[in-house]
Amino acid sequence: MKSRLLVALTLLAASFSGFDVAQAAAPVSLPITLTIKGAQGVNLDSSLYLPSKLPAPAILLAHGFGGSKDSVSTEARFLADSGYVVLAWSARGFGQSTGQITMNSPKNEIADVQNLISYLSTRSEVIQQGTKDPLVGIAGASYGGAAALLTAGYDKRIDAVVADITWNNLKNSLFPQSVQGSNTAGPFKKTWAGSFFAIATLPNAYLGECGNFSQEWCDAFVNSLSAGKPTARAEQLLQDSSPSTVTKNITAPTLLMQGESDSLFQLSESVATATQITNAHPQTPLSMFWHASGHDGGSDESALINKKTLQWFDIYLKKKLMTFPKFQVVDSNGTISLQDSTVIAKNLQGSVLPISANSIKMSGSDLIQLAPNLAPFTAPIGGIPAALSSLPGLGGAISLASSAIESLGGGIPGGVVSPALLPGQSAIFDSQPFTAPRIIIGASKVKVHISSNRKDATLFFSLVIHTPEGGVKQPNGLVAPVYVDNIPQGGVDVVVNLPAVVVDASIGDKIAVAVSSTDQGFQLPNDGRFYSVQMISPLTIPVTPLAAEISKSDFITWPLAAFLTIFIAIGLVYWRRPRHNDQPLEDSDALVSVTNLSKVYKDGYKAVSDLSFSVKRGQVVGLLGPNGAGKTTTLRMMMGLIYPTAGEIAIDNKPIYPGSPALANLGSFVEGPGFLPHLSGRENLNLYWRSIGRLDEPMIEDALKIAGLGTALDKKVRSYSQGMRQRLAIAQAMLGMPDLLVLDEPTNGLDPQQIVAMRKVLKQYAKTGRTVIISSHLLSEVQQTCTHVVLMHRGQLIAFGTMKKILTRSNKKVESLEDIFIELIGDDLTIGKE
Amino acid sequence: MSYQAEKTLPYRVELYRQIKRKRTLFAYAFVLSLPIIVAAAVKFGPSGHSGGPTRLGSGTADLIGLATQGAANFTITMFYFATPFLLIAVVSLFNGDTVASEASWSTLRYLLAAPVPRTRLLIQKLKVSLTLCAIAMILLPTASWFIGLIAFGSKPLQTPLGATLANNVAIHRLIIITIYVAVSLLFTAGLAFYISVTTDVPLGAVGGAIGVVILLNILDAISGLGSIRVWLPVHYSFSWFDALSSSIQWGSMIRGASYSLMTFVLFIAFAIIKFGKKDVTS
Repeated sequence: MKSRLLVALTLLAASFSGFDVAQAAAPVSLPITLTIKGAQGVNLDSSLYLPSKLPAPAILLAHGFGGSKDSVSTEARFLADSGYVVLAWSARGFGQSTGQITMNSPKNEIADVQNLISYLSTRSEVIQQGTKDPLVGIAGASYGGAAALLTAGYDKRIDAVVADITWNNLKNSLFPQSVQGSNTAGPFKKTWAGSFFAIATLPNAYLGECGNFSQEWCDAFVNSLSAGKPTARAEQLLQDSSPSTVTKNITAPTLLMQGESDSLFQLSESVATATQITNAHPQTPLSMFWHASGHDGGSDESALINKKTLQWFDIYLKKKLMTFPKFQVVDSNGTISLQDSTVIAKNLQGSVLPISANSIKMSGSDLIQLAPNLAPFTAPIGGIPAALSSLPGLGGAISLASSAIESLGGGIPGGVVSPALLPGQSAIFDSQPFTAPRIIIGASKVKVHISSNRKDATLFFSLVIHTPEGGVKQPNGLVAPVYVDNIPQGGVDVVVNLPAVVVDASIGDKIAVAVSSTDQGFQLPNDGRFYSVQMISPLTIPVTPLAAEISKSDFITWPLAAFLTIFIAIGLVYWRRPRHNDQPLEDSDALVSVTNLSKVYKDGYKAVSDLSFSVKRGQVVGLLGPNGAGKTTTLRMMMGLIYPTAGEIAIDNKPIYPGSPALANLGSFVEGPGFLPHLSGRENLNLYWRSIGRLDEPMIEDALKIAGLGTALDKKVRSYSQGMRQRLAIAQAMLGMPDLLVLDEPTNGLDPQQIVAMRKVLKQYAKTGRTVIISSHLLSEVQQTCTHVVLMHRGQLIAFGTMKKILTRSNKKVESLEDIFIELIGDDLTIGKE
Repeated sequence: MSYQAEKTLPYRVELYRQIKRKRTLFAYAFVLSLPIIVAAAVKFGPSGHSGGPTRLGSGTADLIGLATQGAANFTITMFYFATPFLLIAVVSLFNGDTVASEASWSTLRYLLAAPVPRTRLLIQKLKVSLTLCAIAMILLPTASWFIGLIAFGSKPLQTPLGATLANNVAIHRLIIITIYVAVSLLFTAGLAFYISVTTDVPLGAVGGAIGVVILLNILDAISGLGSIRVWLPVHYSFSWFDALSSSIQWGSMIRGASYSLMTFVLFIAFAIIKFGKKDVTS
């Protein structure tokens, strides 16, 4: 019964819980390998993954730069197992596909994808919406993400888009310019551009310096690398490959994901794309998700990314009813698990996008005053040494390490030692320390005054957290590069868009704008500069209404289950409570009546069977019998310690059961004394009296006189002899002078004088109309004290009556109880009754 | 003869009976010894002579490495040290020994025959044993704070996540942590109390409860068991760490506290049912 209940409770809890039950492994189906013709006759090496249930909506899965169709096989399998036809292909110039890389050019790569859509319209496995119009979504990350956005911009047949860590404008990603409203190209992101170029050229070095790049793109890269700024042709190429040119045409539901740990395509790329889409078509379903991954590494978010991707397609391709928050952010600085020392991210969500579009309510902002001082610093000749904010693929790790180094050193007064901010080449403008923790999500901006001794300035701004210990945390090593030219003599005022970040500030932290004249990731002026920078406006930081993703199971189900359990437990206790008959018995003048009492222990041992006797007031009753006769069991039942198997006991016509109020009328000493060894005899009696719920006089002094302990009364019981404990226990039984006194072997361990005294006390006790039941094996003792005898053997009543009657029982006058005892029981000393 | 069941075994009487016991004082001394020993070891430890205090742990970014930062960090680290064993032992002692020791002293039968109703006896004993646990729970952070203050000063709390929390905020967080740790130990308390009702051997009840909790901790450390572990009540014993981030993360603490409360209530219910039907033969 109990175990069944437990199982039921566990199941109940399980059905409430938010824990994922392990999914049954879906059968792995091998993809179909195909070669599909792309634009200009290029062969596209493709794989078609089919779900178990057909027809199904299709998903085009594009891979990242340097990858192939095989690099997305995990995602493809996941989506196919979730019920989609998935088509993965190697983009031209990658994997087994032919053709040359043109960086998602609309005429080449994007035209290829359009051919793939047409191909899907010929497959019967794919749900069709019209001629040559399959139900199809497109997803991809980085290079593949741009392909997804561009295809959605050029081809209306796309029904849903998921683009991860990709660019909005390639020119602005490679020549980032953070001055608001400026069209001038910013400093060249040479490290990233170089890595990009190397990824595509080195594995194909046998093809020449350009590898698989088209000649046009190769020239653009090489020329830009050497010039440090884009050539006109390169600008045109970068423009063509940018989703920013077609975002106004995107009407398919779009999920934009961007990585926080990404110095290549910063969070601001997704902000730009979202703003453009919303401005052109405010009704287009659009959501954003900033995760803790990215081109710099960060943490592995693939599970979360796959989950969000699937949800998006389920909503817009399968029309499942689900809510998808407008804006979701992973705050990776959530908390650390002590069990495995991993950082547990915290997921935040809100209903407002972090963009400022014409038509929709924009997210709010907050102004923060910064130190207004004018900071002079230099840019070194040759650009060396240069600050290190991030490295491709390593990113934030560098700045994290630097802040640790710095907090050890304690910082240098007036300067900041950090690889990201070198002394003499940087300046930092602090706010007041925060008085409450704060999460900053999104891009901040600030108006600055810049003057330079060379008419132009190349600067790297960042939003940093300045800790009370002097440490500087540059979130994910992200910087906002600024290039300003034609600076007049007195300097120029510009508004700088700081990098979009997700960063926690604790109490006591200061938020600060840091400016550096160098950064190893970028092309720097060779001829040295002298700058002075001053903040001339407060810092505007975004206020995006976001709340932690509320796990219903954590905040509602679990507490609810706990409360429910409390009620269940109370119900259980009530339902399983022992039930007692509390009806008074029919009137009789007996103080104690034992009726048909039986006790069979769990192991089948029959201790008492069918015992009946009654005791009247003023009697002193001896309960006699050899060892194992059932005396103690009877007394324990009389005290409510043991449940009788049958029959009942009543005191004063009130039934006895555990906790029965009638027990208050009973004083007992059974099977030895029981005291708290660490307290004195007096304390023991006092505490016992206060524990038994009696409101009348304890008459402790009378009881103590009986115990006769003298000064030992105030010593700890631990030090008492057996006899002392015995006497104290009898005194305890007599506390409050109960009507019925039950004593088990009361004279054990007493001196002869004490035995005599005890005899007197007991007789005295009975004289006042009270009753005493003594169980003993000392027959002569009983003979001298008792008026009545109950003789038991093997759990049964052998004889019961007045002492006189017992002694004259067999019609021959005997002198002692002993003789009777032997006569009645003989030498059968078998214990109990089987 | 007037008798009132609701006057039996009053809270104050039971509290006095338990508080006068040596094991109660030993348990509190045990709790107190942790911050004293750690502080002394750090202050006067081997590397303490070569300038600067002995470092606990390896790095500066981990909790133990930050212990000597100040009173607040020291207190947090003491919680970290005390959570896996010390507090479990103390809670098991107070709750596991309470009924079983009465049985072993033979005082149980005299209380029950008084009569103290059985459910009332358990409830009163539970109230007192939880009070004793609460005292230990307050003693640990309070003593750690003052010992940390004397030994390492009053620098603000430095969390392993890099956040710095001023002392008033840190105290607020410590109160939350203390309450959470106390609630999460209810599972151990309930388990020990249940065993206490079923046995007459006090050490068996205490040791049994400690053994079960340690076994569960070992299971929880086996990562191969995967998500099964979230069903172990001890899985959430360190969730108080979520109170150290710049804004408190409640999710796992609420889950842990609810789970602990649930198991506690069930253990107590089963203890009452079991004790109500039991033949007391001790």
